[in-house]
Amino acid sequence: MDITGIPFFLAVSFGGAFLAYLLHFAHRFLRNAVALLTVSVSAALLFWLGDETFSIEMGGFILTLGKTPYSLFFAGIVALLAVPTVLFSFTYMAKEERPAMYYLNLLITIAAMYGILFSLDLLSLFIFWEIMTWSSFLLTIHKGGNATKAGVKYFLYSAAGAYAILFSIVILFNMSGSLLIEDVARSFVLQNPLMQLMLAGTLLFGFSVKAGLMPMHGWAPDAYAESPAPFTALFSGALSKMGIFGMGMVLYQIFLQSPFSLPVRELLAWAGGITSALATLRAIQQTDAKRLLAYSSVAQLGYIVIGLALGTPLSMMAALFIALLHGVFKAMLFFAVGAVYFRTGLTDLNELRGLIRRMPVSFLTVLMAIISLANIPPLGGFVGKWLLYESLIQSDHYFLVIVAFFSSTASFLYVYRLIFSIFLGQEEKEFEHVKEVPFLTMQLPMLALAAVTFITGIFPGIVLAPISSALTYLGFPIYHDMWSMSMLFNEWGNRINLLAMISVIGTVFLTGFTILSLYRMRRTRYVTTKDIHTSGEVPTENENLTYAINFYQPFERAVYPVLSKSIRAWIDWIGRSVSEFGDFLRHIYTGDGQTYAWYVVLFLTFMLAAGSWLL
Amino acid sequence: METLKTISGYFATIGVAFTVGFLFMGFSRILTARVQNRVGPPIYQNLLDIIKLWSKESAINHGLMQHLGPAFAVTASVTTLLFIPVLRIGNWFQNFSFEGDLIFLLYIMVFGQLGMALGAGQTGNPNSAIGVSRGLSQVVGYEIPFVLALTALMVYHETTSLHEIMAAQDSIGAWNIFVNPFAFVAAIIAFLGMTHYTPFDVPFAPAELASGPPSEFGGKYLGMMMTSGSIFAFAKLTLFVNLFLGGASNLLELLAKTLALYLIPVIIGIVTPRYRTEQAIVFFWKWPTAFGILSILWVVWMR
Repeated sequence: MDITGIPFFLAVSFGGAFLAYLLHFAHRFLRNAVALLTVSVSAALLFWLGDETFSIEMGGFILTLGKTPYSLFFAGIVALLAVPTVLFSFTYMAKEERPAMYYLNLLITIAAMYGILFSLDLLSLFIFWEIMTWSSFLLTIHKGGNATKAGVKYFLYSAAGAYAILFSIVILFNMSGSLLIEDVARSFVLQNPLMQLMLAGTLLFGFSVKAGLMPMHGWAPDAYAESPAPFTALFSGALSKMGIFGMGMVLYQIFLQSPFSLPVRELLAWAGGITSALATLRAIQQTDAKRLLAYSSVAQLGYIVIGLALGTPLSMMAALFIALLHGVFKAMLFFAVGAVYFRTGLTDLNELRGLIRRMPVSFLTVLMAIISLANIPPLGGFVGKWLLYESLIQSDHYFLVIVAFFSSTASFLYVYRLIFSIFLGQEEKEFEHVKEVPFLTMQLPMLALAAVTFITGIFPGIVLAPISSALTYLGFPIYHDMWSMSMLFNEWGNRINLLAMISVIGTVFLTGFTILSLYRMRRTRYVTTKDIHTSGEVPTENENLTYAINFYQPFERAVYPVLSKSIRAWIDWIGRSVSEFGDFLRHIYTGDGQTYAWYVVLFLTFMLAAGSWLL
Repeated sequence: METLKTISGYFATIGVAFTVGFLFMGFSRILTARVQNRVGPPIYQNLLDIIKLWSKESAINHGLMQHLGPAFAVTASVTTLLFIPVLRIGNWFQNFSFEGDLIFLLYIMVFGQLGMALGAGQTGNPNSAIGVSRGLSQVVGYEIPFVLALTALMVYHETTSLHEIMAAQDSIGAWNIFVNPFAFVAAIIAFLGMTHYTPFDVPFAPAELASGPPSEFGGKYLGMMMTSGSIFAFAKLTLFVNLFLGGASNLLELLAKTLALYLIPVIIGIVTPRYRTEQAIVFFWKWPTAFGILSILWVVWMR
């Protein structure tokens, strides 16, 4: 078998999953080694993948596999997150039950994602899509209890999406007589516009379920909150991007020529904007770290959808760049929250506090990740948002830019809440015993990803090179005057020099830090968090000086009266309608045998009457 | 030689910014005092305060993040300053202004606030945490009208570069305050929120929160923060002059224009009571936002 071929690549990915499962029963080190080897080897193989395509006939259908620059970029995201995820799982999952099943499902999910990306026809895409859904469903319910509920919810949403996709695939196959995406695209333009609209609508619906676009986001907060932390990193970081991959494919490979293409994309962009704004407001309300991050993921996916839907070269660059960066910093956050959970058993922001001196590396990880998430230079998150805002302004979406900017600014609130409640504030006795997580299996994946956010912030060209080839494949001309290794340009010709930026920020920061540290060094002393200014009162040892509960009460007072009323009104209306419908049904299903007997008599009479009249 | 000149240019800019910043603040203290029927401190009082703080014998901190907080703040103010063209023409005081644009400035300006918030967070003082919660909420309030106004300007001049916005005002022959008055109103009200004078001083609320986030900072830490605050005040004023008043071609002109802008929040601040946080947010989302939306419609209509 050709080792640069896609069949070999998928064989390694899937084979490794089963091998790791079997080896679990020999020794857990063997299992871990094989799991790590599988994801590392498949990540390395991505560099050597050949260009040729492969076809297999199966039950009269031809399945075709091959790589495109577009899919290769997404495969890069998967590979970048898969290796740290597996590494992080080693120690984290040692405490949890059924590790063998966990590794099997995790590796199958990763392999299925590669399968989706390297499918050139819709049927194999669907098959891998379902494998991914199943294995990720099993991972979601891994903990049992509440997780089962969350998993079922996730599965139901996914099933609705999958049926929508299958429905369109069947019709598309009937139309074009082929399942190859190229052939489908060619015959798609010949259909009548309404048919095109419907098919694109169902396909986009199906893919946007995985991306968690509102109103199809219902599964995301529960599923992200309940699944094991290392997998959540992959779930939110890479798996949700499969939805983005599919949406991009539908919008620009199949649907682009349709007269409805522009209005649909406009609608989608607004859906993305509203998703990011509402999910950000929800994230601010959360008191559980993982739920907060879950809503934040929904919000970030909203940005990606905005960029994807606008369809200018700059906005597409933004969308793909954020897709990668969101994967990286969200994985860092889920890892760090997982690390805190691993040591303290808590994810509740009202209970955790003051861990900064106990877990400094986790703190640093969260700090880098939130700077990236809040788009503050000089880290990678800034580059993506810069591209997005420039593209929004230049494509005349003035109000969408405000919506996007609102959610970006409001995201400061929840990222600060996250880092403050876990790491800052009063240091308490109950957390005195907490130690930092082990270096090799837990700190290393976090620090490696932190390095990625730093490097992409200075040299975004490393990421923009594969993005350009992906976009050229999708039909967006990316010229060389739009970016260079550390410079970005907008369509008006304005530029930003990231190297100058990092030199200024770095120099000033180091100077300030040196002055603060060296000046009167010996006379600077450390005091505990109990030794603070309290206007003359001396706090006793057990006095609670923490401000954590209802952290953003003033903000909520301003925002939520409007928001909660309208949402609650809707929910109330639905609830009332359901109960009224139930009341109505109760008149029919009275629970009385006599009434049911009467129904039977009435039915028979009706049938007899109808029969005699018809005959 | 050329390098030396450039580097001395950076220091000159920082020096000018610092001097103008503390003099303006001293001036506002005198003004407030006169309104309250006091004599007030000398105009250089803020410099004396900073010197006093730097010469304090000892300093305490609650850990590394608090130690880093003032360094973050000074990084944000100096970087903002160096990426803003201080003068419209000439080679002096341009620094790095050709290497960044408005969207970069928008984000680097909040870098310091986040750093300070993190530093204040580690102190464990509940007043600091309350102040941070209020301050960040208020940021969400005023950023909306501010970004609306900036979007209107960027779209009208079809550029995100400050140099080009200034050049466009020069070639049109009218400042943006006249070209798009709605944008100016929206931005200047947002500016009131940014400067943290009353009615928008609830994050620091001296009598209520013991000055909130900075309450655990003393000695060299507070000195560093006040230094950075003076520089940042000047940087923000210069940004507004460049955006709305056509920039300045020499330092005297700049001084006059920045002082005129600076008087707006000071004079409003002297005579107004304090808004609660939620009132401030709702206020920002009502009037200035309406003006911001008008400014964009105005631009769309004018194009």
